[in-house]
Amino acid sequence: MKELTQKQIFDYLFNNGIENFVGVPDSTMKHFVERGFKKNKILITTREEEAIGIAVGMSLSQSNSLVFMQNAGFANSLSTITSLVQLYQIPIIFLISWRGFLKNDAPEHTKIGKIQPKLLQALSLQSKILSEKNWKVSCDWALKLIKEKKPCTLILKRDFLD
Amino acid sequence: MIRKEAISAVVEKIGNQHIISANGFISRDLFEICDKNSNFYMIGSMGLASSIGLGLALKNTKKKIFVFDGDGNILMNLGSLTTIGMTEPKNLVHVIFDNSSHESTGGQPTATNKIQLSKIAKSTNYKVFQVKTKNQLAKIFQKIKLIPGPIMIIVKIEKSRVVSKRINIEPIKIKNRFMNSLKK
Repeated sequence: MKELTQKQIFDYLFNNGIENFVGVPDSTMKHFVERGFKKNKILITTREEEAIGIAVGMSLSQSNSLVFMQNAGFANSLSTITSLVQLYQIPIIFLISWRGFLKNDAPEHTKIGKIQPKLLQALSLQSKILSEKNWKVSCDWALKLIKEKKPCTLILKRDFLD
Repeated sequence: MIRKEAISAVVEKIGNQHIISANGFISRDLFEICDKNSNFYMIGSMGLASSIGLGLALKNTKKKIFVFDGDGNILMNLGSLTTIGMTEPKNLVHVIFDNSSHESTGGQPTATNKIQLSKIAKSTNYKVFQVKTKNQLAKIFQKIKLIPGPIMIIVKIEKSRVVSKRINIEPIKIKNRFMNSLKK
């Protein structure tokens, strides 16, 4: 996704009530994270589960959070999502980058990239894939869900090779 | 002291302030000793009590947030200590009930009988205190009133077979009443 769009997505979520952006960065979303750093709103954690825990504490304090991670980190987080976020119905927006979306992405991403949609479905974690065209509608959808106290996911495709 | 005695002694000092308690026997003891709206029982997600506590501490700077952790729990999330050290919440008190074992799963050993948690915590900007008796505990709780966090109190406890009842409150109710107690 284009640099400008990533920055617009950050601004849009921030201007619509997301106060905290916690997570582990991925190069797929580097412009999003960079924008957040400029606004002094990013907290980088050591692992994705830790980020979710911090976001839960913030959410309990009525302060909305987004947790960002690569899909490798999403795989790390399955138990935390089921036994904390979903168990207590904590509204959090996950931003997950979809490594392994392109067939020739690095080999370590192939398997998780392939099963990611099925994992989301198995968790019953609602998700939308961000695009240049639909990002605003998808962000509105996510903002509406967390107002209803439901966690949800925005997916950022890895659409380039490096 | 055994875990239940230690938790009881700490709760007496804390009063109605907010507590995030780790999963397993620690939360069960807290529930049985003194169930309150201001207790958040983390019944799953082992390791994350300190992270939830950090999120709360950063957003409620005028309230003191207490984390009740176990040695097994914090060893699962040592990275949390570095994030807490980096953000330096002045209102976070991290109490570790340390029996060098995974008591909730049958008493299997943890590394804290060979590795000093206090040294790790000190190197991540915590002010660290270690206690063994109720008297020491009382003194430390008096002392920390004047010290800005993050503070870690390691309470060395003995193993025991005392098991408290399971928490019988729905998780969503635990959350809602805790959130309401934060508003006060």
